Amino acid sequence: MTVKKIISIALLVVGVVALAFVPTVVESDSIINLLILIFIYTMLASSWNILGGYTGQINLGHAAFFGLGTLATRLLYTQGFPLFPSLLAGGVVAVAFAMFIGIPAFRLRLRGDYFTIGTLALAQILYVTVGNVLPKITYLPIEDIQNYQLDFRYYIILALALFTIGVAYVLVKSRPGLGMMAVKEDEDAAESLGVNAFRHKLLALAFSAFLGGLAGGAYAYYQTSYYFNYTFTPLWSLDPVTMAFVGGQGTIIGPVIGAVFFVVLKEWLVLNVGEYHLIVFGTLFILVVLFLPGGLVEVWEKIREALSRRPKLKESSTPSE
Amino acid sequence: MLAALAQGLVFGILVGALYGLAAVGLSLVFGVTKFLNVAHGELLMFGGYASFWLFTLLDVDPFASIPLCILFLLLIGLLLYKVLFSRMVKLPTEDKIRNTLLVGFGVGLILQNVALRLWTADDRGITPDYAGVAFTVLGVRFPIVRVASLVIAFVFLFALQLFLRRTYTGKAIRATVEDWEAATLMGINVHRVYLLAFVMGAALAGVAGTLVAVGYSVEPAMGMHWTLKGLIVMVMGGVGSITGTLVGGLILGVAESATAILISGNYRQVVGLVIFILVLLVRPQGLLGTKEG
Amino acid sequence: MLKLEEIDAYYGDLQALWGISMQVNEGELVALVGPNGAGKTTTLRVITGLLKPASGSIHFHDHHLGKEPAHKIVELGISQVPEGGRIFTGMSVLENLELGAFLPKARVNKDESLKWVYSIFPRLEERMEQRAGTLSGGERQMLAIGRALMSKPKLLLLDEPSFGLAPILVEHIFEMITEINKQGVTVLLVEQNIRAALELADRAYVIENGRVVGQGVHEDLLSFESVRSAYLG
Repeated sequence: MTVKKIISIALLVVGVVALAFVPTVVESDSIINLLILIFIYTMLASSWNILGGYTGQINLGHAAFFGLGTLATRLLYTQGFPLFPSLLAGGVVAVAFAMFIGIPAFRLRLRGDYFTIGTLALAQILYVTVGNVLPKITYLPIEDIQNYQLDFRYYIILALALFTIGVAYVLVKSRPGLGMMAVKEDEDAAESLGVNAFRHKLLALAFSAFLGGLAGGAYAYYQTSYYFNYTFTPLWSLDPVTMAFVGGQGTIIGPVIGAVFFVVLKEWLVLNVGEYHLIVFGTLFILVVLFLPGGLVEVWEKIREALSRRPKLKESSTPSE
Repeated sequence: MLAALAQGLVFGILVGALYGLAAVGLSLVFGVTKFLNVAHGELLMFGGYASFWLFTLLDVDPFASIPLCILFLLLIGLLLYKVLFSRMVKLPTEDKIRNTLLVGFGVGLILQNVALRLWTADDRGITPDYAGVAFTVLGVRFPIVRVASLVIAFVFLFALQLFLRRTYTGKAIRATVEDWEAATLMGINVHRVYLLAFVMGAALAGVAGTLVAVGYSVEPAMGMHWTLKGLIVMVMGGVGSITGTLVGGLILGVAESATAILISGNYRQVVGLVIFILVLLVRPQGLLGTKEG
Repeated sequence: MLKLEEIDAYYGDLQALWGISMQVNEGELVALVGPNGAGKTTTLRVITGLLKPASGSIHFHDHHLGKEPAHKIVELGISQVPEGGRIFTGMSVLENLELGAFLPKARVNKDESLKWVYSIFPRLEERMEQRAGTLSGGERQMLAIGRALMSKPKLLLLDEPSFGLAPILVEHIFEMITEINKQGVTVLLVEQNIRAALELADRAYVIENGRVVGQGVHEDLLSFESVRSAYLG
């Protein structure tokens, strides 16, 4: 194990433990809520990243998965189903839908942008349809609202977020994960090396949808009340894309950084300047796409590189000849 | 029922012309540069808001404001192309497709929120004195504003057709759509053609936006809505065919009206989207129509 | 008139041309022959600026090419008929020809050029209004050449004009090319059909695997494997 790896794992453990202790140490509910939001966004961005960042298939309709997750989980949970099956159902419904569109779409080898605008259209269809079929607000069951324990929900959602990141990590490091990245690099070259692009895209889609649905489930569990079709709004498609890119698409930590940055920036801006966070984030997003495709992760790597070079320069600047 | 259908047909045609106009700009850009500008709807929205401001602040009649809107959108298009899109022209195809899509997406996001800041989320409409006037034929209402919009849309489409058919620049554009390398061998500066197509696309969006603002309304979230409309019609009509695009727009407008009357007003939007998905699946290469408009 | 010196060219990381040197003098009809994939089209792409050379130089009269953007090459008087002709199938014959005279200088003389091209290819005049996509293979090639002539080029580059055409048509096209050369247009002809090319040309270069392996007139070249097999095969 390299030093780098040991440090990473140590940091991870410290981080998780710290997060676990937050509810006991922190009084303010608003910080807990903020963290929960970060967790949910992390799940959202991470799940998108599997298909978009690692496999290179840009999905602009991720809200479909998120929304379906909230719908399934909410409906089941409010009917009295236990929590975990409800959450699971959220993921499953999202995957089922994903397969329904993914199979024909990928089988036909649609051009990249056709897939993307197709996802846009589908998410819109769901948004309108859900808005028509369920044009009302959904409330958590009364007992839940009366006994709403923020801390408990905090831990559940933290666990879900860690689960999501964990799954993403394992998937990416696995052989199928390698195949996905090959498809992103150059689909034709990958095929010629024996990578079945169709299957890998479908796999990435499945995981992306499941975890996206799970994120939705988390939201449904957390949010007291919202309009049924709110979780299908385009904003839930926009956010994960920008977060993943700004943070660093195609990495595990990228979406996490992106989510944190997004939520923190939003809070800061709202308090000081106003609701400009989307304009700022949109600009950052464009800058990343054009100039810094690795996002903040790349920035960090570059800084580290620059820092690690300096000591060496100092050594060799001593004339030895 | 018959009366409702007849009225629906008329309204469908009136809005369909605008769908066609909205799609033509998108189609022009896609055909020439092969970028799918998903911020096209936001450009349309800005055209609408520009006219709105000219009307409310300076009392400019919306139809008279069209030339100014065109100018405004030409500038925005120029800015967007020079600053952003021109950087992606040289990328290999896959990257070009993906990056232009993403950048367009970012631009749309920014424009939408700028609009939100400037004009709030409320619906805005332009209501000149003649706004409510309509003439009635056989019991069917024809609001003048929308009829005028249809006429103007047709005029622009016709003008575009003439431009592409009869002028040297227009032919250069058509040549670039077909085969940009061969066009280069003729001495055609393909980069200039790209720029021209892009700004023309923006200008056409602006005109459509003005017409939408005066006949209907504008609000910041309409961008995505209209981009999708443009995409649907472009896919139905085939890139490169202006008549096809117009017909596609009219069909969409009528299909939506029919759905609203026969099924429910709420599903009006879904019809187009479903058609779109079906066409994408049935003709995945269908966006590259070969017929000349 | 046209001089290439030690041209190296790459497609990405793959080297395609090694030290290509050749020359075309005014009024000549020079052929560049060689087997499939030898680098003939690549050489043309370098000349017309569609591919930038990694090293070496190209001069046309006194102009240094190589850095020029592709669309400027026509202005200098070099016109290319690419492989397959690449006419604009959605446009009419006339429109294709008109586009050949796209440059402002050429536009002014459009009608004159049109007359000239019609005199060489009367079939095109007959089919003036027809959509180019409906033309036969031979007619398309004629249109492609005609289009290239509309700018009254000093140097005409032809990439495999005989490709895919029936032998009778091939003969016909080559007659036209000779005629065009007689009328004062310098021609660089790239051909896989070595036999025909050598009969037409004043001189020829043989290219194999991205390198010029020989040059000379008809008989001199018989020593080359690829040339010989063209005659014996």
